Amino acid sequence: MQTEVIDSIKFGILNPEDAKKLSVVKLTVPDTYNEDGYPIEGGLLDQRMGVIDPGLLCKTCGARAKSCPGHFGRIELVRPVLHSEFSKVVYMILQSTCRNCHRLLLSDEHIEEYKGALTKLEEVVVDVETDAIEDKVEMGSLPMLKRLKNMKKCERCGTPKGKLKFSAPTYFYVDDYKLKPDEIRDLLAKISIEDLQVLGIDSVASRPEWLILSVLLVPPVNVRPSITLESGERSEDDLTHKLVDIMRINLRLEQNLNAGAPQIIIDDLWELLQYHVTTYFNNETASIPPARHRSGRALKTLAQRLKGKEGRFRYNLSGKRVNYSARTVISVDPNINLDEVGVPFEIATKLTVPFYVTTWNLDKAKELLARAEYPMVMNVIARDGKRKRVIDLNREELIKELQPGDIMERQLMDGDITLFNRQPSLHRVSIMSHKAKVLKGRTFRMNYCVTPPYNADFDGDEMNLHVPQNLEAQSEAAYLMSPQYQIFSPRDGDAIITNNEDGITGMYLMTKEDNYLTKEQAVYILSIAKVYELPKPTKDGLYRGRDIFSAMLPKGLNFEGKSAKSPFVIKDGKLIEGVVTKETFGRGDNKLLVKIGKDYGYDVLKDFIFQTAKVADAYVTLMGVTVGVKEYTTSKKLEVERVRLLEETFGKIEELITQYKTRKLEPLIGYTLRQSLERMIIAELNLVRDKAGETLLKYETSEDNAAVEMTRSGSRGSVLNIEQMTMFLGQQATLSGGRIKRGYYTNRVLPHIVPGDVRPGARGFVATSYYSGLAPTDLFMHAVGSRSSEVYKALLTARSGYLYRRLSNALQDYCVDSDYSVRDTNNNLIQTVYGGDRVNPIFVQFQKLEAHEKS
Amino acid sequence: MTSKSDHELVPVHELMSDKEVKELLQTLNLTLDGLPKILESDTQAVKLGAKAGQVIKIYRRDGKRENPYYRTVVEG
Repeated sequence: MQTEVIDSIKFGILNPEDAKKLSVVKLTVPDTYNEDGYPIEGGLLDQRMGVIDPGLLCKTCGARAKSCPGHFGRIELVRPVLHSEFSKVVYMILQSTCRNCHRLLLSDEHIEEYKGALTKLEEVVVDVETDAIEDKVEMGSLPMLKRLKNMKKCERCGTPKGKLKFSAPTYFYVDDYKLKPDEIRDLLAKISIEDLQVLGIDSVASRPEWLILSVLLVPPVNVRPSITLESGERSEDDLTHKLVDIMRINLRLEQNLNAGAPQIIIDDLWELLQYHVTTYFNNETASIPPARHRSGRALKTLAQRLKGKEGRFRYNLSGKRVNYSARTVISVDPNINLDEVGVPFEIATKLTVPFYVTTWNLDKAKELLARAEYPMVMNVIARDGKRKRVIDLNREELIKELQPGDIMERQLMDGDITLFNRQPSLHRVSIMSHKAKVLKGRTFRMNYCVTPPYNADFDGDEMNLHVPQNLEAQSEAAYLMSPQYQIFSPRDGDAIITNNEDGITGMYLMTKEDNYLTKEQAVYILSIAKVYELPKPTKDGLYRGRDIFSAMLPKGLNFEGKSAKSPFVIKDGKLIEGVVTKETFGRGDNKLLVKIGKDYGYDVLKDFIFQTAKVADAYVTLMGVTVGVKEYTTSKKLEVERVRLLEETFGKIEELITQYKTRKLEPLIGYTLRQSLERMIIAELNLVRDKAGETLLKYETSEDNAAVEMTRSGSRGSVLNIEQMTMFLGQQATLSGGRIKRGYYTNRVLPHIVPGDVRPGARGFVATSYYSGLAPTDLFMHAVGSRSSEVYKALLTARSGYLYRRLSNALQDYCVDSDYSVRDTNNNLIQTVYGGDRVNPIFVQFQKLEAHEKS
Repeated sequence: MTSKSDHELVPVHELMSDKEVKELLQTLNLTLDGLPKILESDTQAVKLGAKAGQVIKIYRRDGKRENPYYRTVVEG
């Protein structure tokens, strides 16, 4: 085969003569079928343009519908019309040329001037091909065109240009005389090659008079197939409809011309023809009404087929649909392991996995092929690549023919490797491999511990499932993309797949210092973890929660880490000291999960997370953990403390203000006196917030308070959250981060405030809490804060999302070489030593990374 | 007058000899254009009098470690 490299493609304008040569038939009859339902010869479905009905032969190439590529036809317009999409070019040329001498309006010297500038530009930017054209237009052509546009008369023959008016989409007037398309064509035809070159037009590829249409190419039938409705009625494509319109008017115009009809009638028909041709190209052309279907629906013509989100480019070419995939709503199932996904039965019956028939599994294959219900074979792909659908009628035959080397497509079964994905796929853990588990119901089921990498929740999220179709893809997916290998984030080494929410709360409550379970409870909990050995009971016949936790630990584990207050110590697989918190598991300097993963492998680790989460859920369910008003009711003592704290702070701020007024305030370095005051006030308010948090923890010591317990365990909520609900809401901030200071006229937030008041209450400090109820003015302050944080969030996610995308796309192909240097795909050096320390955070257990502190 | 390049945050720049460059490229399995680039007009390159085609070695602190970074000098 001869191969050549394409180094350039040039687009030009279709010459009417070429159009005639290109087409196989001249269409003359503005209709589709005759009474017998047969395509009319010379009509719009003439069989020389190809056929669409299976079985018929194309009259040009003799091929059947499937293999005939289709052939163009043509309509010869009796009067030329403008191509609306090119009318701007026509306008530009008409503006630039003389209607008397048909040359550019500029004198030879001026032309040389611009030509010189253009060639000079060409020399300068000769290497930078892409920018060259833009530069030429920007620096050379645009100023010239602007000059030409403003010229009043021809510099050569002195003929005045007259008032040229362009009215979109296709009308041109000179001194209020309407130019007819054929007149325009004559003008354009007389422009010399040299003059066109100056205008940037290559007259070989695109003569300007070709912009005026006299021959219209008609696309082949397979571009605009007609549909046969169930009722047997034929329905034509929009393009065919439009072409019928064009031909009808064209025919009427011809008849009227031959009959010597008055000029007015001719002009009217001509204009109508122009309208039909314009809408044929683009039915959304500005300032003309769109052509409509009988039902009132606007026709979808050529431009509409290509344009926009649902157009050919974005919908069909850039976006393709994927086979062997499924999509549905997701929901939770804590009884499904981390690396599993619950697949609805209905989906499992439709997705298929290849089964490679070999000499060794031939019997098994035949057995499978013989099945007529659920795990059954859907298709058999013989060695010659022919795919046959298995139906009851041919099953016996197929079994007989089955040979090693054939591939059977069997339905999805438990344990099959699938890829699970949630959009937007921002990072690698947005697609992970899960083993299928076929279940009843119509949703994908997943363990809630794998929710964070997908950023999924169950409020209606949908996810996609793909089935890898060969062994290489399957094993790659199973070994590289399985959740157990993605537990730790390469960003900072923290676990992204870990117990969360109740999965932590339960562990925390269970492993608390003096927590004991009855035998029934212990047995129940352990049975959930599939541990069938009871730990040693205490003297009272009770079981320590801690020991229950220990029973789930791998045998012989030794670990020392951090807990809420005390150290967290495991010796020989037994929890000796400390209580489980989020930090103990997978965050910070020393992580239990890393230790288990390193010493026992990721499979054990995965199951550990799964079991503990399940047990924690069961424990929480058993004991009951709930949050209500009770959690946010303040004690008398705390209320007194709250008032004291606020009074103290307000007093200090009052003092600062007095100092400011008497000029005794010591300004901070680099700030004006007023700025200093503002900063000091903010500092005071931040201080009172922190102090309130501390007092809250000091007074709310009860272990019955679920909200505080959740905060302590790290599973949900912070001290600040509780503080805002029970004590005071605190400072409301604006977008810029400062205190609120505008909103009402004369520089105040609300009319109740004296202008210039800088005290906390006047600048958005809310001293009331959700529990006590917000004071009316505070509610407004709160609304300001809420609104700006909502706006900020929207803006930030849009911006940072795009930033992150650009960054990750730029870095995605870099990899660490065997000598620990970072290289790109061309083996160019990016960094001599990976990360400056050769450390992959995923594998770090307790080194404090000084170089890469979390930001 | 104090120069900006004396500031503690500006790492030490050093011009490598042709022999060193040859060895470096061999160990890194690279040609000269595989290295990251530095402009001839860069203040540090100017200070060292580096010409296009030479290599500058930069001792940069990565946390507690000090690592060498290499830049080929290019025109401009």
